[in-house]
Amino acid sequence: MTEQPAPRLAIRGLTKAFGGVRALSRADLTVMPGEIHGLLGKNGSGKSTLIKILSGFHAPDQGTLEIDGQPVALPIPLGKSESYGLAFVHQNLGLLADASVLENLIAGDYDRLNPFAINWGAEAARARRLFAENDLALDPYDPVSALSPVQRAQLAIVRAADRVQGRNNHGVSGVLVLDEPTPFLPIEDVRVLFATMRRLTATGVSIIFVSHDIDEVMEITDRATVLRDGAVIGSFKTATTPRAEIVASIVGRSMTTERMIGGYSPTATAPLRVEHLSGQIVRDISFAVGPGEILGLTGLIGSGYDEVPYLLSGATQARTGRLHLPAAAHDLTRMTPSSALQCGIALIPADRQRAGLALDLSLTENVTLPLLGRSLSALWLNHGRLAGITAAIMARFAVKADRPRQPASELSGGNQQKLVLGKWLQLGPRLVLLDEPTQGIDVGARREIYDRLVELCQSGTSVICATSEFEQLETIAHRVLVFDRGRIKAELAGDQVTKSAIAHACYQENRSHAPA
Amino acid sequence: MRPPNLAFQVERFGLVIVWVAVILLFGALRPDTFLTWANFSTIFGSEAVLVIVTLGLVVPLTAGDFDLSIAQVLTFVSMLTAILSAKMGVPLWIIIPTVLAAGALVGAINGALTLYFRVHSLIVTLGVGTFLHGITLWISDSQTIGGVARALMHWSIIVRFLGIPIAFYYAIGLAAMMWYVLSYTAFGQQLLFTGRGREVGRLSGIAVGRVRLLSFVASGVMGAIAGLIYTGTTGSANPSSGTTLLLPAFAAAFLGATCINPGRFNPWGSVVAVYFLVTGINGLSVLGFRTFVQDLFYGGALVVAVMVSQLISGRKERNL
Repeated sequence: MTEQPAPRLAIRGLTKAFGGVRALSRADLTVMPGEIHGLLGKNGSGKSTLIKILSGFHAPDQGTLEIDGQPVALPIPLGKSESYGLAFVHQNLGLLADASVLENLIAGDYDRLNPFAINWGAEAARARRLFAENDLALDPYDPVSALSPVQRAQLAIVRAADRVQGRNNHGVSGVLVLDEPTPFLPIEDVRVLFATMRRLTATGVSIIFVSHDIDEVMEITDRATVLRDGAVIGSFKTATTPRAEIVASIVGRSMTTERMIGGYSPTATAPLRVEHLSGQIVRDISFAVGPGEILGLTGLIGSGYDEVPYLLSGATQARTGRLHLPAAAHDLTRMTPSSALQCGIALIPADRQRAGLALDLSLTENVTLPLLGRSLSALWLNHGRLAGITAAIMARFAVKADRPRQPASELSGGNQQKLVLGKWLQLGPRLVLLDEPTQGIDVGARREIYDRLVELCQSGTSVICATSEFEQLETIAHRVLVFDRGRIKAELAGDQVTKSAIAHACYQENRSHAPA
Repeated sequence: MRPPNLAFQVERFGLVIVWVAVILLFGALRPDTFLTWANFSTIFGSEAVLVIVTLGLVVPLTAGDFDLSIAQVLTFVSMLTAILSAKMGVPLWIIIPTVLAAGALVGAINGALTLYFRVHSLIVTLGVGTFLHGITLWISDSQTIGGVARALMHWSIIVRFLGIPIAFYYAIGLAAMMWYVLSYTAFGQQLLFTGRGREVGRLSGIAVGRVRLLSFVASGVMGAIAGLIYTGTTGSANPSSGTTLLLPAFAAAFLGATCINPGRFNPWGSVVAVYFLVTGINGLSVLGFRTFVQDLFYGGALVVAVMVSQLISGRKERNL
């Protein structure tokens, strides 16, 4: 047995709570020099809290960090993580598309650059050397907008490595944290990215690879650590651990959630059918939703499930697709929000602050907007009546607010969402589309929103709910479609709709990853 | 419903209170020249044009757009009116619809360029306005043109009611109409959502592009109305008349957004703001200050107005 080198990075007992909820509980993580270490876990498992503690964004309640055997005081001052040899590449990559490759490469490299005299020629030569070492065919003077998505990801990763490689941190190669860099890349490009990562680890850099995608983690990492509910479930050598064991530790043996709905029995009325729908990510999908049915859509990041509500309501234009309603069929490439409203389709978007409510405007103005010119005269608005309508909706949907004239910004997230729900449900829609309806909402308001959705389906309305929360689907969905890279990969109905079954379906082996 | 609280009422009527205080101050200093009905009827009548230009700005501002061309629409329409009337002898019943249509056309061009090419309205209307000024100088040969039909002057300043020229009542009438449209019609709400929550409005079925286009057309027409009344008030058209109106109108629109309906561009607030500003300037000139006080006052008011409105809203980041 040879002597173990000191770990590049060692986290011990990291704990962080937000308002009494433990996001991270005594988590340990060890990353060796030159290792690619996977970090796996569902949404809310604590991965992002851990990453944000490493980047200095959160201060931990307890726990220690050692880098190359040296203790590092936590929290790391924000923006100083590079001087400890830590660099981060987030999903959005942090590149400015309008600027050149070179400008992006040196942006923020304040330790090395003279801010009053940038020698562009020398910098370009240095960039070419760096790209040659990493086998990247990039020209420093090309604009980033001309790069392919995988080239952008490579540039971001090489830039991060350049910042930490042996320059600032007592001569060692540093740690790159890659936070979901792959979900929008096709599989061929993911392999290209993996090649870049391997070349970097050959020089001694360590990489923490955060991903939802087990197949990618199995393929690229040396070891992987699984987090669940804020705790480390275990660390595995990926080459020798069966896939099923990793899946089981991600998903866990969850307690069953109370289902608020019974089995769905098809009624005499014909279902609403969506055929050959394609958008930015989803490709040629077809499905139906019956009257009084709650259909859940889910999948991993980038799988496209969250695009569907916007495509069906005309909020974004579909590339192809038709929506068959009992009365008529509609071409989704020509759907607009106002024609969707006329068809009885209501959209409750995820971005409450920008697309759900105008926060500067009053509750009344927000609630009554879709009624103007429809059930209310366009030329004489009776403000007393508008306030009355609003007060009735506030009462019916249990919106806690002082008065209808108050600006919407003064309400809590839960009350805002109930108001948005009231705004649309007062129209009596036949199809309600929701995207992440309980995002950032407390438990009480969440329950009230579920109650409203269940009432809605009992009255015969069709509901489509896109969400990343499997528990929510177990609570309220009759049926769930699981998406993967733009296609429907699995369908679960009735008793099959459980958190763990959905999670298993999400993490199920992809055919696209299987060796040819 | 909770009772209206005092702080809110002070905020709503703060500018009115300051205006009254300014009148009292100058009145105490110069009771013979400042505090006379003749002085005030002149102020009310002659600044009706500025009120209408300010009201014209309020429409696109509510929808989240700037119209910097409005003052040049005024100048162009004024010049067109003078040429058609004095040089070509065209009767007023043809001139009026023609110049209103010209204003609407400029607004439509502003809107079309802003919306189709997705350029910021600030840039589009700056360019269109300057272009229009070029046309004005061209068709007038850079000369002031006088001798417009007497009927136009008659129905602008000669007819008086309670001693105030009728132009003032046109401005008040337009403010009332706009207040109705903004507060009591679906279109008013659509304008508001287009400016303050464009994505919310779009997803609620508002054709935000059409609303923005209409707001440019409305400000073009208001600019044309102001141009007609300007020509009637002075009896002539001056190729640089509008240039000095743009900043005062913006100052008044932003200052007006701090009162009556604080936090929103609103017609009655704009009327109060215009008359507050001109009262201050008139008072200072009665005291013997020279013309530089205009720029000090208007420029200062614009900066103070946006500072106050940002303080009211807690210094939030804004796009406008």
